[in-house]
Amino acid sequence: MAESYRRSRWSNGLFVVPYLSVFLTLLVFPLGWGIWLSLNKVDLFGGERFIGLKNYARVLSDPIFGQAVKNTVIFVGVSVPTLVILGLFLALALNKTTKGSSFLRGVFFASSILSVTIVTLIWRIVFIPNDGLMALIFEYFGWQPIGFLSTTGWSLFSVGVATVWWCIGLPMMLFLAALQQIPKDLYEAAALDNASRWRVLTRITLPSIKSTIMLVAIIQVVMQFQLFGQAQLMTNGGPAGSSRPIVMYIYEVGFLRWDIGMGAAASQVLFLIILCAAMLQYWVSTRKEETDA
Amino acid sequence: MKKLLLGTTAVGLLALAPLANANTKIELQRFFGACEAEYGKVTDVSSAVGECGIITALVNKFEADNPDIDVNVTTVEWPGYDQLNAQLASRSAPDVVSMHYSAMSDYQSRGLLVPLDKLLKDQNIKPSDFTNAAISSVTKEGKVYALPFDNWTMLFHVNNNMMKKADLMKSDGKPVLPNSTDELFAQGKQFKDATGKPYLVQVTANETAVYARIFYTLLMQQDSKFFADPSRIDLSGKEAKAALTLMKDIMDKGLSTTNMDYPAAVAGFSNGAGGIAVNGTWLIGTYDAQSKQANNPLSDGYSVFPIPQFFKQKDVTYADGHGWVVPRGNRDDEKMAAIGKLFKFLYDNDYEWARTGHLPTVKAVIDSDKFKSLPHRSDIAKVAKTGQALPAQVLRQFAIQDILGEELGSAISGNKSMDDALKTAQYRINDLLENI
Amino acid sequence: MKALNYSPEHLTSNRRLFWIAALLGLIMMAPVAWIIGLSLKDNAELLKGTEAVFSFPYTMENYANILKSSSVFGWFMNSMIVAVGQTFGVLLLSSLAGYAFARLEFPFRKTIFIIVLFGLAVPEQAVIIARHQMFNWFDLHNTHIGLILPNLSSAFGVFLMTQFFRAIPKEIDEAAMLDNTSTFRIFWKVLLPLTLPAQATLGIFTFLQAWNDYWWPLISATKSDMYTLTIGIASSQTNFAQSEGLGFLGAQAIFASLPVVLVYIFFQRHIVTAVSGGAVK
Repeated sequence: MAESYRRSRWSNGLFVVPYLSVFLTLLVFPLGWGIWLSLNKVDLFGGERFIGLKNYARVLSDPIFGQAVKNTVIFVGVSVPTLVILGLFLALALNKTTKGSSFLRGVFFASSILSVTIVTLIWRIVFIPNDGLMALIFEYFGWQPIGFLSTTGWSLFSVGVATVWWCIGLPMMLFLAALQQIPKDLYEAAALDNASRWRVLTRITLPSIKSTIMLVAIIQVVMQFQLFGQAQLMTNGGPAGSSRPIVMYIYEVGFLRWDIGMGAAASQVLFLIILCAAMLQYWVSTRKEETDA
Repeated sequence: MKKLLLGTTAVGLLALAPLANANTKIELQRFFGACEAEYGKVTDVSSAVGECGIITALVNKFEADNPDIDVNVTTVEWPGYDQLNAQLASRSAPDVVSMHYSAMSDYQSRGLLVPLDKLLKDQNIKPSDFTNAAISSVTKEGKVYALPFDNWTMLFHVNNNMMKKADLMKSDGKPVLPNSTDELFAQGKQFKDATGKPYLVQVTANETAVYARIFYTLLMQQDSKFFADPSRIDLSGKEAKAALTLMKDIMDKGLSTTNMDYPAAVAGFSNGAGGIAVNGTWLIGTYDAQSKQANNPLSDGYSVFPIPQFFKQKDVTYADGHGWVVPRGNRDDEKMAAIGKLFKFLYDNDYEWARTGHLPTVKAVIDSDKFKSLPHRSDIAKVAKTGQALPAQVLRQFAIQDILGEELGSAISGNKSMDDALKTAQYRINDLLENI
Repeated sequence: MKALNYSPEHLTSNRRLFWIAALLGLIMMAPVAWIIGLSLKDNAELLKGTEAVFSFPYTMENYANILKSSSVFGWFMNSMIVAVGQTFGVLLLSSLAGYAFARLEFPFRKTIFIIVLFGLAVPEQAVIIARHQMFNWFDLHNTHIGLILPNLSSAFGVFLMTQFFRAIPKEIDEAAMLDNTSTFRIFWKVLLPLTLPAQATLGIFTFLQAWNDYWWPLISATKSDMYTLTIGIASSQTNFAQSEGLGFLGAQAIFASLPVVLVYIFFQRHIVTAVSGGAVK
């Protein structure tokens, strides 16, 4: 009996048919169709005409796309390390069974369950000039007010603050889970050596959760590259496009300018960028492990 | 068994019967904001103030007058065209949509709007009932594609109380306004020295439309033909540079508020943040109502005027307007008739809408004493003549406005040189127009 | 005693770190407190200046207005239907596929699995425009199904469930096989109950993702009666001046997040275990 269970049968494949059909129709086909669209002059209301790589040429020579790539890379480059370091810090600080720790863990994770529109609503009302919480604080201390949502540099920063506030829960939780997995005898050995806290952190804790750090970093890179809602709702990409991420560029080209051929081309470029970033990270991490070993 | 089935079918049909007689439903999608909490139940239109209040009350009134018609209102983020595009693409556009005249060519040229000649004729509304400015804006290829609702321009909304402090009031109770750029800077300085507040309250943050509209006005005043060819913009001339220079100088010389987005600028003027709000006709009703209340910065001290003529060549202001369109879709006669009734109602109540501050589109209203006796209307009467739109053949005017506003904004805030900004704007706009 | 002091907890954590975290927690909560404060104020008063938040009187009027007129309820129901539907769909499809990939043999199993894993790398953005067009062809926009379907294709669930099924000791299904149980019964009656913790993890992730989804509903649910909560709130917050005032917006945000926050508070322990479970490798 056991033999037949292990035997390769077509009927066993039936278990994957439901997912596979969804996978093919809603992921594989649209991926191919999207690539086909990107090679066509086509707008929201039809009119397909094959134009080869012209859409890609337009995207890559568009200064605004360049700006959006730059914005997104800066955003990812700052927000991901912040999320990783802050998440790790919180996990270390709150890795206790006391009531206070568990309450704070709850607080830090709670924002993750809010939807992006509520997060941006909250932070807009914090950052808006004159009436916002920050404006009141600045006024109280007599500081020069800052246009958080309307000044080049600050606007992307503000989007980043809202994003970190929103996303910090998951990294913290993943790090906490990883900390729980570290074998206790490692610490006992360290205790016998009278090792300092810093030494314990760098020699035992961090190396033990290395793979989790990598996992968190890759998840966050992939997520933050897809920044859209926060920027659209808080700054609408402004001022002067200084907080417009790639996804918002795709949205605008497709749904404001009707040009879904060019939008599709831009989204394939984004796909490539994310793929490269994730693979680069993976490569760096595995290479390091090899040299370590 | 069969009987039982038949029986249940019959019961089912009976249950459905009231549905069959149910009201005709009109899906209406508009901007102008949401104010359900304040106006959700108001049917007395004359008590409403402001765009949102008046249109909400109008729809309520229409539903009360026509119990057999339900109007289901969706409020979209201004201007809502991205959403409309997604709807049109998925063939799920609403029945009636608010649309700027400047956006209509895009949709009409692709056959996405329903011509309304018959619908209006059935309601005894003639094209000649509308002002020329209005009806010509919604007529494309000989057919009418929208119920014109208003015409608007940007204006100077003035806080007389603060102008008085700055000694900028004339003896007839009207403020002294600049007639040239030199006077603008002189009076602006005088105002700031006296009140400590900036002369102008401008929308400068997260905003592209206002920049573009002021820029168009300044170009038109120089009689620049920047859209001589409707498929290409030309910003290489000295006029564009002069217009942008003026806009930048206003900021650089501290004449304007900074960092205010649209809502902040609207509220800022109410709260006395500066002397003159550069904003549209739609705020007249709101500010006028405020000026009639006691103990606020505008109490007894509000007036409004066309944007001064800063360049000698031509007395002109950029103008646009709002209309109601019917996107393509399958609708039965009953629904079209209901839409007709709604349009007739809006047409009949053009005066109420004009209380917002917009110029009415119905000749009988604009010529009526009732309209003329509304406050401030005589001060801005001339914009009906001096208002000018972009050539109707220019497509994607909203996308152009976004590009232009963004580039002008970066020049004004000093992130880009003026030449660079104008060059980039021209490149981006022409790339957009070439690839339609 | 000394050994106790050197427990792992004490070596990785200390009091000073805790207080810094507590301070960060306060900063974390400040914006929420701010919004709650605004939501309890009269809008006209706020229009004059938001520092009014710090003084009496407070009012519940904004909340009353929501109950009277707002469409929040409808949006909430749509979000619920979509999130629950998507969660069930993902759990079902992923469990079936995960079981087969982990435990059964069928032609091209490895190849198919590798292809599916490639799906992990495809972000929504790469397919969304084409999907929008496809859904146009089949008139699927502005339907619950149209909102549920796209994320069912996510390969993450399949990957996760395959891992979990692999972790179950083989002896368990082998014992069941001796009783001549059918393959489906083994899956349904024997193995599936053992994956409950994994189901919880995947379920919570999927639910949160569906609940917070923004771009797809933005272009698919374009009729107001099909708005999800995310899109509905976005539609009312966009133009502050033309909307109903900061107090009302604040109340709407609080009101809309209340259900999930309550669920979170009640099931916090489970949610935390579930989320952490995802990391255990």
